[in-house]
Parts: sequence; C-alpha cells; structure tokens
Amino acid sequence: MTTPVSEPALEVHDLTVTYQRKPALWDVDFAIPAGVLAGIVGPNGAGKSTLIKAIMELLPTASGYVRIFGKSLEEVRGRISYVPQRESVDWDFPASALDVVLMGRYRQRGLFRRLSDRDRRIARDCLHQVGMEAFASRQIAQLSGGQQQRVFLARALAQEADLYLMDEPFAGVDASTEEAVLELLTRLRDSGKTILVVHHDLQTAARYFDWMIMLNTRLVAAGPREQVFTNEMLQETYGGKLTLLQAVGNLAGSKGLPLRE
Amino acid sequence: MLSLKELLHFLSLSEPNIRYVVFGTIMVGIAAAVIGNFTFLRKRALVGDAIAHAVLPGICLAFMLQGSRSLWVLLPGAFVSGWLALLSIDWINRNSRLKPDAAIGLVLSVFFGTGVLLLTYIQQSGDGSQSGLKHFLFGQAAAILPGDLWVFGLTGLLLCGLVALFFKEFTLLSFDPDFAQAAGLPVRRLELLLSTLTVLAVVTGIQTVGVVLMAALLITPAAAARFWTDRLGAMVLLGAAFAALASVLGSFVSYQQPNMPTGPWIIVVLSAIAFFSMVFAPRRGGLARLWDKLRHAWKIREENVLKTIYHSGESLGDFTAGMHIEAVQGRRAFNPWQLRLSLFTLQRRGLLQYGASGYRLSGEGLREGARLARIHRLWELYLTEYLRLAPDHVHDDAEAMEHLITPELEAQLEAALGYPERDPHDRDIPR
Repeated sequence: MTTPVSEPALEVHDLTVTYQRKPALWDVDFAIPAGVLAGIVGPNGAGKSTLIKAIMELLPTASGYVRIFGKSLEEVRGRISYVPQRESVDWDFPASALDVVLMGRYRQRGLFRRLSDRDRRIARDCLHQVGMEAFASRQIAQLSGGQQQRVFLARALAQEADLYLMDEPFAGVDASTEEAVLELLTRLRDSGKTILVVHHDLQTAARYFDWMIMLNTRLVAAGPREQVFTNEMLQETYGGKLTLLQAVGNLAGSKGLPLRE
Repeated sequence: MLSLKELLHFLSLSEPNIRYVVFGTIMVGIAAAVIGNFTFLRKRALVGDAIAHAVLPGICLAFMLQGSRSLWVLLPGAFVSGWLALLSIDWINRNSRLKPDAAIGLVLSVFFGTGVLLLTYIQQSGDGSQSGLKHFLFGQAAAILPGDLWVFGLTGLLLCGLVALFFKEFTLLSFDPDFAQAAGLPVRRLELLLSTLTVLAVVTGIQTVGVVLMAALLITPAAAARFWTDRLGAMVLLGAAFAALASVLGSFVSYQQPNMPTGPWIIVVLSAIAFFSMVFAPRRGGLARLWDKLRHAWKIREENVLKTIYHSGESLGDFTAGMHIEAVQGRRAFNPWQLRLSLFTLQRRGLLQYGASGYRLSGEGLREGARLARIHRLWELYLTEYLRLAPDHVHDDAEAMEHLITPELEAQLEAALGYPERDPHDRDIPR
C-alpha cells in the first residue's frame, strides 16, 4: 500500500534495479512529502541501500525514474546530500575530521578553486553541531565508530542541502551518538528539511520516523508511520519470502540475462 | 671503496654525464612519487604494476614501425599500450565474473608476454639499431641523454601541475568515490585523468628503472611517507623527497661501482627508506608500537605489585606494616628480577616507602592501591551482573580490564552498578 502525496520532495517511479544482473529491487514506486523524517526498513538483502544508491544514480537502473522536487537529479543536485555507510570508506586515510567535513564544501567551491575561510567556518560550525568541535584536527582513524559517523553527518550538514539521503547512520554507534544523531535529524526535519534514512533496527524505527518505506526487494508499504507500521505490514515485510519472485530473479542472474530488453 | 672525496665530486655534478643521470632520475622519481600517492591510497598498487609491465609491447611495436630509439617515438607507443592495459582491466572487471586480482594478473601476463615475444623477435632480426631496447626491462639510467631531460622535465611539470590543480578532487576521489559522485563531481573524467597521469608517470620512468621495477617507484615513496604523517599534503612532499634522495644515492652507487645498474639501486635505496620507516617511524612504526606494548606491560606489573601490598595490608587491617620482598613474592608469584625493578620504580615515584620493616605504602600509594582494588572489584561485579558469569570465573578478565580504564569509564561503570559497596566475593569496594 502506498499513500499518495501532493507536491512530493521525492518521487520514485517504477524503479527496477539489478545488481550483478540479479534484480535487487522490483518496480518500487512511492513518494515522500517535504519536511518528513522517513525511514526505509526491511530485512537484510531487501535492497534498502540499493534504493538510495539508485536514487543518487550511483547504480544503473534497469527501468523507472526518480524526480526530486519535481526535477531530475542533475537539476537539483546542489540541494541533495548523500551520506554513505560508514564502512564504505577506509578510515585509515591521511585526513583529519575537519578535512573530511570540508569535503562537503567541494561542490559549492567548484573545480580548481581553493577553499575559503568561509568554508572553514562553516565546516567548524557543522562539527560543533554534531558535538565534535574538539576533535577537528584528530586523524580520522583515531575516532571511535560513533565519532566517525558524526563526522560523516557534519560533512552532510556542510553541503547545506534540502534533502538528505543517509545510509545506516545509526549502525554500530554508541548510545550517546544515537541520541545525538536522532536529535540532529529531528532538528533538521523541524527546520523544513526532508530526510530519508536507511534503518536496520525495527525496535527503534517506530520511535524515530514519522514516515515509513517498508521494503523487501519490492515495496510493501509507504506512508505515514501510524498507517503503515502495522503488524500486518511488518509480517509481509519480514515474514514469508516470495519464493517465486526470488526464483525468477535467480534465473535471470544465473543466465546473465537483462531484465528489460 | 667509498670515499668522501668521491661523494663530493659526485655531488658537485661537474661531469655532464652525472648531471644527466642525477637530474633525470630525480625528475622521474618525483613525478612517480607524487602520482603514486593516489595509486597507493586507492589501493591500486597492483594495477600500477600491471600498467608498468604492459608498456613493453608498445615500446617494441613503436620501434618496429618507426625504426628509431628516440624517446619521442617510443614513449607514445608505451603510453598507448599502458592505456590499453588499463582499459582491459576495467573492461574485464565490468563484463566478466573474474575477480579483480585475476583480471590484473591476466592483463599483466598477456601484455608482458607479448612484449617479451616482440623483443626477442626484434633482437633476432638483427637490426643494427636495436641494441639497448632490452634495457627497458630493467632500465638504463646511464643512457639518459640531454634531450631526454626535456621529456622528463616537461612531463614531470605537467604531472605535478595537474595534481596540484586537482588536489582536492583527487583526494575526495581516493577517500570516498561514492560521495564524490553524489556531490556532482565529474568522477568518471577525474578517474580518467588520474589514470592517464599514472600511465604517463610509468611511461617516463621505464628508461631509468625499467618496466619490471617501475611499480616500486610508484608505490614505495608513498608507503614509506605514510608512516611519518597523517596529512596528505605532507605525505606527498615527503614521498617526493624520499624519491629524490633515493635517486641521488642510487645514481651515486652506480657511478662509484662500475657495472652497477642505477635503476635497481634506486629501488634498493627506496626500499631501505621504506623499511627504516616501517621500523623507526614515531607512533606508526614497529619500534614505537613495541615500546607502547612494553610500557603497558611495565605499568601492569607495577600496578600488580602495588595491589599485592595493598591486599596484604587489607587482610591485616593495618596498612602501616612493612613487607619484605619475600613476603610480596609469597602472596603472588612475580619474576624476582622484575619485582625488584618494580619496587624500585614505585619507591622512586613516591608510592612506596622503604624502612627496616620492608616496603610499605605511602599516603599516595595507599590511595592508588585502593583505586586499583576498587576498579578490579567493580569489573568483577560488572562481569557477574551483566555477563552473568559465575563469581569464580571473573577474576582473570577483571585483571585485564583494571589496567585499561579511564576516569570517564570508571564513572560510567560505577553508575551502571548503582555505586555498590561489596564485590561478588563479598569484599569491601574501597572508596
């Protein structure tokens, strides 16, 4: 079930994504309104990360399209911020926390241009917002997992976006970071930003999000939390697998055939 | 043998031949080191090696088509075949189920094999001008001509200039390519540029160190520099300095010892620098790590000695009674030599006092001993309550944990346990 949305911040239309030729997402179709804190939930391998990577065009899509603020990604890229999974980078990189946050300013600054004092001020302010100003010059490998996640969030803040797509910002962080991150996301939402978060923990999902996208290689439900976060929908998301769907997907994968001509 | 006079004569660069070799190898070394930082950080060292080996068929083909040994003829050939190798690796990765390491190995051996085949053919065809072509295998810096310096200098300048211009983009690309692409950086084109510059550095390097050793010139300076700094800018400069130093020393060895090849000696010096860094660099080096371990072991031993004396006082109900070495040894088996040393250092730190009745705790020593006993008992309590371990199983774990604690952790531990007064063995937890 999907709730129709007028003037959505993000629309995903019939998105099908194959990963190493195996379908990871089938015809996903939903929209989220502006100013919500939305969570994507679903079991392991449901295609949660794949969905936001496909929205950011980091993965090729087999079919379907995405509109953001009514436009294509390329037209509104400056208003969108993407936070990859913390484990997706090597933290033993020669950089300080401030260096990483400054990376959020590269696009605004443009190619060839050097970062300005204003960029540095903004980056420091973003570190302050996530409670990491004391660690600005710390080498990133010496930060704890939670602190590294905060640095990633500060980098996203430095992009000064309107739509935030975050891949598992709550994964593997300590309790105080979890609270700090939640507070930050809520504050962003209250200031009118739209946030879409991939989340793995069902126990906290109901408390954190006001909009839910429930995914298991296909869209099970999308809408306001109180409407879609029901036992029935949870059962469908996490319960019995659609064995026939999986079988035809495996068939396409093992033969190496494309899903669309 | 080695003499200062010879070294000074060499460094005065009064012989034109020495000048060509030294300047040539320095320029090539710096260019390779600068671009090699990114190869290293993107974990593409093996790709660098494959490209280096893959330029050989290009050199041979260029020679066969043009019949000239000039670098202006051979390098474009090398560049094209290095590029083709890179494209082949990418293509195999995208379109087959071969794993990346297999793709790299496959491309390396096919290209290099073809190169050796062509080289053999050229040598057997008896072309008068072919002599020297096989030096591209291991390099021959002595054959650097004044004209070659122009080639090296121009490509080196171009390379360093472009890296400076795109420094922040290349950095982001190496750290987090997904984020770079999402932020709208032209990732494909930047990758293309970075790869092209890598091929360029490899191609200019083959005359000095040869295709077989070229990857070392690319990767080793960065790997060595990484041990000394956590800042990328400093790492690039340091890597370049290492490469320049190795070039000078390598050239000197081959000048001073007849029949010693320059390229391999540059690599030997570079490897020695890397090895030195691996062992002696502060913080990241092997000795620094070993020192940290020893210091921690030392601290554990001191704390155990202090705790033993505290326990004795606790069981007697009297902390002012002295304790001789044998008595300490009787309560807990220490290595006698290490025990003496620990007692000595504890005394020097003012935690123990020595008198006629033996060692006894000073005021500060008493506080420290109580703190250690307290933390040990808190951990034991924590382990029994939170991990549901039996009281007789928690001692060893608590023994390890008590030496690692920070004041914040201690406060959290106490709060989590509700400020307890008795441990699982029903002993007092001292305040």
